[in-house]
Formats: sequence, structure tokens, C-alpha cells
Amino acid sequence: MVDFSNQPTMKGFFAPTRFEADVYDCEVIGKIPTDMNGAFVRLGGDWFYPPKLPNDSPFNVDGYINMFRFKNGIVDYKGRWVKTPRFNADRAAHKQLFGLYRNPFTDDPSVHKLDRTVANTTPLAFAGKLFALKEDALPYEIDPNTLETVGPWNFHGKYRSLTFTAHPKVDPQTGEMICYGYEATGLETNDVFLYTIDKTGHVTRELRFKVPYISMVHDIGLTQKHVIIPVYGFVTSMERLKAGKVHWGWDSNAPAYVGVVPRDGEAKDIRWFKGPERATVHTLNARTEGDKVILEAPIFDSDPFPFFPPVDGTPWNPEKARAYIRRNTFDLNSKDDGFQEEKLFQMSVSDLGRVDDRYLSLPYRYAFTAFTDRDRPFDEARAGNLRGRVSNCYGRFDLATGKMNSYFAGDTHSLQEVCFVPRTKNSAEGEGYVIGVASNYAEMRSELIIADAQHLEDGDIARVILPFRATSQVHGRWVDEDQLPFV
Amino acid sequence: MKQPKQTRESSVLTRRGFVRGMAVAGAAIGFIPCARAMGLFEAPYAARNSPREVDSPSAVVSFHMDQPYLDASGSALPYNFPAGARSAAPAAAWSENVLRSSIYQL
Repeated sequence: MVDFSNQPTMKGFFAPTRFEADVYDCEVIGKIPTDMNGAFVRLGGDWFYPPKLPNDSPFNVDGYINMFRFKNGIVDYKGRWVKTPRFNADRAAHKQLFGLYRNPFTDDPSVHKLDRTVANTTPLAFAGKLFALKEDALPYEIDPNTLETVGPWNFHGKYRSLTFTAHPKVDPQTGEMICYGYEATGLETNDVFLYTIDKTGHVTRELRFKVPYISMVHDIGLTQKHVIIPVYGFVTSMERLKAGKVHWGWDSNAPAYVGVVPRDGEAKDIRWFKGPERATVHTLNARTEGDKVILEAPIFDSDPFPFFPPVDGTPWNPEKARAYIRRNTFDLNSKDDGFQEEKLFQMSVSDLGRVDDRYLSLPYRYAFTAFTDRDRPFDEARAGNLRGRVSNCYGRFDLATGKMNSYFAGDTHSLQEVCFVPRTKNSAEGEGYVIGVASNYAEMRSELIIADAQHLEDGDIARVILPFRATSQVHGRWVDEDQLPFV
Repeated sequence: MKQPKQTRESSVLTRRGFVRGMAVAGAAIGFIPCARAMGLFEAPYAARNSPREVDSPSAVVSFHMDQPYLDASGSALPYNFPAGARSAAPAAAWSENVLRSSIYQL
């Protein structure tokens, strides 16, 4: 018997949806730009069976990949679970066999040799293939037309890390991918394997090194010359796992380290800089200017996630779980291990920010992310007591002028991660569309927003309406028509 | 044999007894929304779901990063899931004719 009634957070709009979907010729309010041809692919999760244990992390949710397919002004929608060995084992057993997030000691003994990943974090289109990524396993290849799962992929046997990041970086100049795995040689190891993979999907370079302590290395920064590796307060240990806890806890005494390594460097060339308590979960962009390496990112003051609480037993502090767009400058000529930090905007933002990917690793001007505008209306009678607590706006943050332009989604809406789509391959930076899925809490449905990135205040150009709640997204990516073998 | 008056009144429904009973029932029904607002109906629910649902007796569902989460300390601002089938809310204002036309496609 499937019973979600005792899951306190899985109710109302946040109840599991539990179905796969095909919607042809979706309802649209407004007009889809005819120059948008490709797909907006989203990856996130939907619990098929309830968590086995209380206090699990939502990051342990079954992966669910879905796609808004754009073609000549028409949009179709398709959603499928990622059929990992774990998902299939659960289905066969009619229950959740796997325990806490990245803790195999809490699993049913019958599944000890199975891949535990739920492949629920980031979609990736690379070398003509579509993948579902999660940082605890290899990528899972997905058929781009049916969204059915093909299986794990190790880049022709040359990718040796046991894990693969959810945030690989594709160099827009060369087309090569810089990617990595942490806990690369197994659970609770502090090995990181850093790879360069050419645009045909072949490994061309491997660098093995160790981080100062085992931590969540969720994202990196990429410049034309360097790779930047943030390591911050999440800690773990085999003892912790054997005690039956989720993989991560937060240690506010653990320094934030940032490694900087030349893209063609060796392990001995890594320089570790050290700073105060911070959490750089996601990055925006980075660049090298002379002897300075610059990283810009929405960075939290402290532990961002209530489900990975402090290890010292103190309560998780929501006041410190706010992200601000910051610039970290690492001087390669400096004599000490410190670095400079600037807060570029005084307002807190969603840390799920994006840039125009054609400018990744290069000088750029615009960043996009969601934020909460407390001055905007919120209809609590229809959408719940969430005034001031939902991301109701997308912002375009101009790093050259410090100005911000914003799009407001509506008084019963909450916005998921933003994505930027260039109007054409040759458009200027920031010329194109801001897209993302809005949760309409009043109507119990999801709406894909499409707005002109240069005129956000004008509202959306079009909304693609789904007559149901789309599964929650972690990350989404726009895929151009020519990136995958779409039919 | 003559029956004691008290016994006879308890077994026969009189008009006065009926009116008194209705008043008590009405008051009880009127109390339901107040009791719900005061959280008096929450105890059986919490008990049914404890300890699996609520790890700490003071835990509260709150909201962070556009998602609900369980705050073990109980100090966070609660998130109250809207009650009822919100998808039917627009139909509440419909007339009987419009509602029936919608349902039965008349």
C-alpha cells in the first residue's frame, strides 16, 4: 500500500504527482516565439514511494525528467521517471528499499549491490546525447525523444571516477566539457577526479587530487585558464553514516576553502585559498584577468539546507540561509591564503542563478536569478500563508551598472530556477528569453513562463499551461534543436 | 404501578427536551470551527503520525527555497497548507445551472 499521509511536507501543491505524462499541443496564453526551436529539459524529482525513514533529504527523491518541446510555435510536454536500477528495484518490491540520502547503511539488505542514485539533479545535452546527472553516480543516458532511460555512461570507458558532478561546464570557445567527480574512489573518500572531455565525448585529460576535507563539491567555476573548486561547511564521515544519519551535516567551524588550478595544471599546482564560513553551492561565472581569478556566485552566509542541520546540535538558522551575489577575487601573486570578497547586490536572491551560457568562462555582463519581492501582492486566501516567502520575480542583474530589472509572475505564483535562451546563436549577450516554470498554488498547476530578457517589466510573452502540477525542478537547461537528435 | 417522574422523562422525547437538545447540538457544531482554529483537532492526527512524521514533538512544517520543510526546533514560521480542493475554488461562485452544465456537459 502506498501511503503518503504521514509525510508532513508532501501535501497540497507539494504532494507527489505519481504519473508520467504526455501533453500534445499545450495550451498557451500569449504567443510562443517562432524562433524558439528546441527543448526546455527539466530534471527534478517525484517520490514514487514514500521515504523509508523520517528526516530524509528531499535530494533523495526519485528522478523525474521532463521536457517542453518547442517546434514552430507549438509546445508539447513529456515527463518520465528516470528508470534507474534503484527505481526499478523499488517498483518490483512495491516499496522504498533505499534509506537515507547517500547512506547505504540504511538500505534494505537486498539492494546493497545496486546503484543508489536517483539521477535527479541536472539534465545535460553533450556530444549528441542527453543525460540525467546526480553527483553520487555516473550520468544516466536518456533517449531525447521518448525520455526513457538508456543507462549509465562512462565516456567510452575512460571516465574513471565513480561519481560525476551535476554541474559540468562546457567551454563555449572549444566545445569541450570540464567535469569532475568527488568522493571519486568511493563513499567517504576525499578524492576528486577532474576531466576534460572533447566535444565528441572522449576523455582528453584527467587530474586527480584531494580536497582539504570531504565535503559537498556541488559546482565549480571555469575560466579560460583556471578551474575554481569551492569546498565549504558540509561534512561527513563513515561514523556519521553508520550512526544512521543523512550524508551531510553542517560544521560552522569548518573553513571555506577555494581551490584554484590551471586547466592544464597538475595536482601540485592547486592553490587552496581560505575564507570565513560560507556556502557556494552554485556559481554564476568566472574569469581570469592577469594574475587574478574572479568568481561570481550567489553565496550563502551559512548552511542553506534545513535537512542537513548543524552537527553541533544547534538549530538550523534560516536568517543565515540567504544567498547574495558576491564576487570572490583570488590573487595568484598574493603571499597568504586569503581572498577578497565583495557583495555586488544587497538583496538576497535564489542561488539557482544563470548566465548566458555563450559567455561561460568569459567576461560577461548579465546574471539572471529568481528572488522574493516582498512589496508585490500575494493572495494568501487562494495560495496559502506564503507572503514574502516565495520567489515571485525573475531578475536580470547588470554587473556593469549594478541595476536590476525584474519580471513578476503573479500573486499566487512561485518561480523555479530561471534559464536564459539566446534569441539566435549570434544575438548579443542577454538578447533573448528568460524562461522558467511557475507553480500556480491557487490553480494547482504549473506554467512555463517565457519573457523577453530585455523587457522583463513588460511581463511574459507567453505562458505554457499544464493542467496539473509539474514535478519539482532542481535544474533545467535549454537545448537547441541541433544539439540532440530530435525527431 | 405509578412510574417515578424522572424515569418517565428520560425515556420519552418531549418538546422541551427536543428544543434543549437542539440548542446543545447547535452550540457544539458552532464550536467546531473555533476548535479547529485552536488546534484542538490536531492531537489525534499528530498522534496517528507520531513518531514517524514528527521527529520532535515541537516540529513544525515551514517554508524555505520555495519548498516546505520540517523544522525540528519548532521555532520557524509555520506553513499552513491551504485547506480544501483549491482547484474547485472558482466553481464556488457558479450558479447551480452553470455548475450542472459544466459537470454534465448539457
